[in-house]
Amino acid sequence: MSMNKDLGEIRAAAQQLHGAISDAAAKHGGAVRADLEAVGHQAKAVTESVKASIVEQNNATKKHLKEAVTDLEGVQKHVAEALKSSGHAFQGSIRKTLADARASVQKVSEAVAAKRSAESTKTH
Amino acid sequence: MHNYIAVIFDGTGKAYRGLHALWQLDAEGDITVHGTTVVHRDDLGQFQVDTKETHPALATAVGVGVGALLGALAGPAGAAIGAAGGAGIGAAAGGAVGLTTDLVRADSRDEARDETAFVLSAGQSAVIADVSEDSTLAIDSRMRELGGTVRRRAWSTLRDDAWFGPYLPSYYLYPYEYIPPKYLW
Repeated sequence: MSMNKDLGEIRAAAQQLHGAISDAAAKHGGAVRADLEAVGHQAKAVTESVKASIVEQNNATKKHLKEAVTDLEGVQKHVAEALKSSGHAFQGSIRKTLADARASVQKVSEAVAAKRSAESTKTH
Repeated sequence: MHNYIAVIFDGTGKAYRGLHALWQLDAEGDITVHGTTVVHRDDLGQFQVDTKETHPALATAVGVGVGALLGALAGPAGAAIGAAGGAGIGAAAGGAVGLTTDLVRADSRDEARDETAFVLSAGQSAVIADVSEDSTLAIDSRMRELGGTVRRRAWSTLRDDAWFGPYLPSYYLYPYEYIPPKYLW
């Protein structure tokens, strides 16, 4: 994944990450190790893209993106925990992974809205 | 403006066209959609939320969350009822959840004029969405063309609602366009 993607592409990547986690969680018997490892790599790539884009943004957009980074780091942490656990602990880690992934999409989406709003104000 | 909206349609097919139109408005940059779901009320008055096939625990969490959100969208008086109803529901096959409680129309005089309660009658469907919009015009005019009626509540009034615990109501909505295969046209 390129480091300098525009916010729309980063948002699409975060949406795909959430979709991948919810699909993995839906598997009978729970997410398999290979799915989780892939999700971990995907989360890391999205995190790096968000970090790389922060510097180019206005303050309101930056704030949302910094929050998204925190949530994406949470995704990576919970995936790592899930890979080392089983039973209830595993299920708990999957739920936390999904919640943090959902939160990260929300923050990136709010960053997109803040940027669109700022650009709209400039043109009026 | 960051708002929750409920767009009411007569029929499920129209609701999914409305859902698609919302995401199209997002793609065109007119609005930003943060999350959506579609809720149906059947002829017996039961509510159903279409979700992906998922883990039962996750489906239950979505049912509880969407139940609380529906109550909150129904107005201040509806929040407690929605959450209580949501807590009592179980996940059904296919990820559909039934909400046994009824939505009530808020009658609080404190409710802002533009924060309109919504009621879903039997046979109707609603698109529930979390959106950012600089003007209400884009959504209102597009949904009107499709036969939908738009109701709004400000995101800020629901954000701190204790019923949602640590999660924002939006977290129970799909953060991308999801249309169950049976409704694809």
